[in-house]
Amino acid sequence: MSDLIIVGAGPAGLRASIICARNGLSVTVVDEYMKAGGRLLGQLYQEKDGEWWNGLQESERLYEEALSSGVEIKLGLSVIHIENSENAWTVHTNAELLTSSYLLLATGAAEAPQPIDGWTLPGVMSVGAAQVMTTVQRVKPGNAGVIIGISVLGSAIAMELDMAGIHIKSMVLPKKTEFNEEFANPLHVMESLSHISHLAPSKLIQWSSPLLKWKYMRNLSTRFFPKRGFKIWDFPVHLRKAALEIVGESKVEGVKVAAIDINGNPIEGTEEIIEADFVCIAGGLYPLAELAALTGCPFLDAAELGGYVPLHSEKMETPVDRLFVAGNITGIESAKVALAQGEVAAYSILQHATNHENFKEKVNRSVENVQQIRDQAPLSFNPHINEGRKKMQNSWNEWLNEHTKSSHLA
Amino acid sequence: MILCRCEEVTYETVRATKEKYQCDARELKLRTRAGMGYCGGRVCRPLLDKISQNKNERLESQVIPLKYQPPVRPITFQRMQGDHHG
Amino acid sequence: MDRINHHPILGERPKKEAVTFTFDNTTYVGEEGDTVAVALLSNDIRTLRHHEESGSARGIYCNIGHCFECRVTVNDIEGCRACLTVIEDNMKVESGKRLPNPLKQGGSFDE
Ligand SMILES: Cc1cc2nc3c(=O)[nH]c(=O)nc-3n(C[C@H](O)[C@H](O)[C@H](O)COP(=O)(O)OP(=O)(O)OC[C@H]3O[C@@H](n4cnc5c(N)ncnc54)[C@H](O)[C@@H]3O)c2cc1C
Ligand code: FES
Repeated sequence: MSDLIIVGAGPAGLRASIICARNGLSVTVVDEYMKAGGRLLGQLYQEKDGEWWNGLQESERLYEEALSSGVEIKLGLSVIHIENSENAWTVHTNAELLTSSYLLLATGAAEAPQPIDGWTLPGVMSVGAAQVMTTVQRVKPGNAGVIIGISVLGSAIAMELDMAGIHIKSMVLPKKTEFNEEFANPLHVMESLSHISHLAPSKLIQWSSPLLKWKYMRNLSTRFFPKRGFKIWDFPVHLRKAALEIVGESKVEGVKVAAIDINGNPIEGTEEIIEADFVCIAGGLYPLAELAALTGCPFLDAAELGGYVPLHSEKMETPVDRLFVAGNITGIESAKVALAQGEVAAYSILQHATNHENFKEKVNRSVENVQQIRDQAPLSFNPHINEGRKKMQNSWNEWLNEHTKSSHLA
Repeated sequence: MILCRCEEVTYETVRATKEKYQCDARELKLRTRAGMGYCGGRVCRPLLDKISQNKNERLESQVIPLKYQPPVRPITFQRMQGDHHG
Repeated sequence: MDRINHHPILGERPKKEAVTFTFDNTTYVGEEGDTVAVALLSNDIRTLRHHEESGSARGIYCNIGHCFECRVTVNDIEGCRACLTVIEDNMKVESGKRLPNPLKQGGSFDE
């Protein structure tokens, strides 16, 4: 039995493991991937100050640091069930049972689906799949590809592919469905892209983002987008074309696209086929919180955070005794925020486990640090993230109020 | 258009079932098998949730329980015996 | 598909040992540390299985263990994710096939 089991060896889980181990807890980290680092592994981009964020290197550093701090890291092991009994957690994996007093869920995020006709053909993949192939595994996802979806995630990864010399023929919007309003409307997409304009050294995007602040200008700038798209780095981005269908017999052969109007509706007679041997589907991310649901932890549905999120305080505690959360399971943000949240969770667990006064101070300081890092984050997946965080804190306070009231009555 | 890749359930089927029975997410899954396949709904669950939520009763900003069945990853008998790959 | 040997930021790809394995009884060579999915992709193989009922071809979708689209049989163990399983010498990999008799009929509760 260990003091703490952490599910997820991403930035949040690893950072938390290092701090807890260095302060005397016995810590076991479990992750189903064969390499530690989680979704940090594939990240590679230039920050506002020109520095490169190399996720592969950061992951290795965290992994080495965790090992040398005495953390036990079990890779290639999937957690399939969790039970809480008699002051201990039992964590079921596909090969063994593990037990601990404390549990930290740092299972990160999953890609939200963007269904389209033909998306089960071999050669169609989520954009995250292509990111891992290209940057971590160093094999080309294909010879010529189309990216469907012009999201923050999609754009960041498209640039990674381009950098590695992968031929991207075109980036287009998805066809409008009832699931993807924010990804299929050219105006919405423009607005979300303005938050990552520093990543795109295209004059057009840089020039247009300050203008996006005014709605009428936003309308104008979309209307005036050149019909043939504009170029970010080496590939054309089409805010006025949408993918209708992925075509192919037993594998991807191309994408049928059409011109769209300002509201994202296809214009009849403009259909054409872009030939390709791979297609990446890019949308958004949602918190991967299935394990928290198994513990009976209550959830809050908050669009700003990416969907259903386990109820938690800014100190990363949950309503369930000895259960903590950190990283993207608490809301979709960049890896640096996940790292900072891992620190908060670690000090909260240490304070709970040892009752030492000095951890209290560390908890408070690390909570402040998260907000600072959030404000400077190079990537923001949702422009209203602060509102989402506030909603969560309010719900937590309400829950706490009710809970303490009822326990006083009892 | 396929929504649930595991069970090859289409958008059209799920939509029609929702209209016919006005059912909640759980019943929708049982009736169509969407989200009941190998991946445990990890891929299509957000889509099913969206279809089964009536616009006027969105649960946004309410604290609710979330239902998931263990195991969250399928497990075969062979692997229970200790040999585990992927 | 080609490996990405040169990368402007990450540099040269380190040289790895060759690993020999079989996929549906054909022998292939991958590199040490490759997942089954990557080793097959580098041999230009994208189709990892056929859907149990419809027989439609499937390949990698998420590449990180979430979707189970890549499930194959590895050394007689069914349901292994090709994107999470690292190849070993003499590993026997088999693709999932369309089942001769559907396991379930319809499956809908519709009368
Ligand atoms: C495809 C993808 C691409 C992304 N790209 C970027 C990017 O370019 N820039 C950026 O800033 N952010 C990106 N993100 C956001 C990313 O989630 C954060 O940057 C950060 O990695 C979150 O850290 P984390 O520690 O919370 O979780 P993660 O890094 O996601 O790590 C969670 C770990 O938990 C493991 N896990 C989950 N469930 C189980 C289980 N049941 N059993 C065992 N192990 C499990 C996973 O294998 C994973 O390794 C991306 C996210 C995704 C999904
Ligand atoms: S490709 Fe999704 S689990 Fe392997």
